[in-house]
Amino acid sequence: MFKKLLIANRGEIAVRIARTCRDLGISTVAVYEVGDMGALHVRLADEAFMLTSAQGYRDPRELLAVAQRSGADVIHPGYGLVSEDVGFEQACEAAGITPIGPGSGPLAQVRDRVEAITRVGAAGLPTTQPSSRSFAPEDGAALLAEADQLGYPLVVKSCAGGRGRGTAIARTADDLLAVVRRSSAQAQAAYRDGQIYLEAAILPSRYIEVPILGDVFGNVIHMGDRDGSIQRNTRKVVTEAPAPGLSSSDREAIWQSALTIARLFALRGACTIEFVVDSTGRHFFTEVKPRIQVEHLVTEMISRIDVVREQIRIAAGLPLERSQDQVYLEGHAIFCRVNAEDPWHGYLPSPGRIGSFQLPGGPNVRVDTYAYAGAEVPVRYDSLLAKLVVWGATREETIQRTQRALQEIRIGGIQTNLSLIRLIIAHAEFVSGSYTTEFSRVRLLDALPLPPAERLRDLAAIAALAFLQHTQTVHPAIPQAYTSGWHRESRRLPD
Amino acid sequence: MSRLLITIAGHEFEVELIASPDSDGFIGVRVNGELLRIALPLERTLDTIEWAIVESHPYVLRIDHDLRWIESAYGRHRLQIRDLDVAVVRPASGDGRVKAPIPGLIARVLVEVGQRVAAGQPILILEAMKMQNELVAPRDGQVTTVNIRPGQSVLLNELLVEIG
Repeated sequence: MFKKLLIANRGEIAVRIARTCRDLGISTVAVYEVGDMGALHVRLADEAFMLTSAQGYRDPRELLAVAQRSGADVIHPGYGLVSEDVGFEQACEAAGITPIGPGSGPLAQVRDRVEAITRVGAAGLPTTQPSSRSFAPEDGAALLAEADQLGYPLVVKSCAGGRGRGTAIARTADDLLAVVRRSSAQAQAAYRDGQIYLEAAILPSRYIEVPILGDVFGNVIHMGDRDGSIQRNTRKVVTEAPAPGLSSSDREAIWQSALTIARLFALRGACTIEFVVDSTGRHFFTEVKPRIQVEHLVTEMISRIDVVREQIRIAAGLPLERSQDQVYLEGHAIFCRVNAEDPWHGYLPSPGRIGSFQLPGGPNVRVDTYAYAGAEVPVRYDSLLAKLVVWGATREETIQRTQRALQEIRIGGIQTNLSLIRLIIAHAEFVSGSYTTEFSRVRLLDALPLPPAERLRDLAAIAALAFLQHTQTVHPAIPQAYTSGWHRESRRLPD
Repeated sequence: MSRLLITIAGHEFEVELIASPDSDGFIGVRVNGELLRIALPLERTLDTIEWAIVESHPYVLRIDHDLRWIESAYGRHRLQIRDLDVAVVRPASGDGRVKAPIPGLIARVLVEVGQRVAAGQPILILEAMKMQNELVAPRDGQVTTVNIRPGQSVLLNELLVEIG
């Protein structure tokens, strides 16, 4: 087993990795850019090194240099940043430091998404229909020609990174180029790679993911499935496991496809095979995520498997601890992605200092976050603030508990998408489990349910008092002397 | 004492503050003629008003620092507040100044001085937290000043573009 692990990431996932390392007795090395000096992931590590190059967390060379300087024997890249950088993985392998990932060979194969779909299709498995190649946003004429062949609606996807950024739907030829330009600009900002490709959209559909684990001996297991269809502002905000509304035969079929695809690419470690499922339950392969994902938490809840621990064990060359029969999937879990952003103002990111910070507790509620009261949400990085996941024996129980947990969370000082998440979890389509990817078009913010009349009256009265307190600072509406049980001068309780 | 007209989620309530806090810290308020007792933390900044108790009902709150909305377990509701003792109603702010809503980097500038723009038209793209955010013209008019260039970092509330 490894002695020392370098965490080549920041934020929530760096904290998450540090925790498992502590659990396993592996010492940790954190890296940080200057703005992250006091961040939680730095404090939780045994050693910490500042990154000085302009690229910071994205600089493979400096990350490797820190690993060598600190004597780390393994590197966990988390998600995003260098986690899908083939060159980084190769450099680590060449330097004799184990990179946690699928191996540089499989990584290169699945990173070329168009090629990956072609290869899976050639193996006789159903796939979505991609464009023949990837494009730069300037290839206007070629894009339009290709789009006509594929037929609308189309999904525009970025070649680099995760699906959160740079994925959008073009419904007609009129909006294709505008959508491409926007997607490409987003991908450029997030991943420094503006290449995009097209995929024939299946609408309405569900986005179903099958997380798998594979070891160096060729053993592969799946850990059930999850549904990532609920998206807002092109990003997954709510994910649940298992996916609702799949028949047991469709579910079994999708699992088997995922295992076949994992073997086809000889994937190692934790990966996710992603599918689009149409309204009749047929599934189509769309891509492989060759790393741990933000949503892996929901899988951990129904399988009780610590995915980071498995990643480390697999990278150390150990065989999988369990066979497929020993993966026990139990109950239901709902995952919510809490972002520092304002859904009421075009999802504008909301950096700043966190004021109050209260997390939910109670049975079967877990929150993974790098944040705390007084923490700074930096402007430079992703808006992911906290991951809430809730478990229950049944889907109904889990929905109710999720609503309860969402009422308990309070994050002040910055804007968050919590009230949007509350609306999603309470929405009839979510509660019935009948939603599809078209849910992103439901206008949640316009049709707010009204509370009972008496509660609205109470809130009006509260707002009035808040207004008076706020505006009448010169002549306070409520004299200071009355604000505590004590008289200021006499220091005894008033009569 | 003060009389206010509160419009919350489109419903109007007339609220009158009628008494200073009693010894338990509850304040007497009349809402549409009905007497209510309310307790809440005494904070000058709205961000820090986290809870209230109205009669026997506790609330967990978030109140916008400009009092445009109030959020509780029942959701988020739009607010409008008018002081009935003050005849003047504050005009809705609608000048043509476009300020940076968050600190970030100017990715693209889509307009130039002299150009006519329509309300809602994208005028520049501000990059922050790995996201490209489109800022739009707040009203119809002609661009009178452009204070920024692509690639420039801007601070919160920095004046970016003016529309005359």
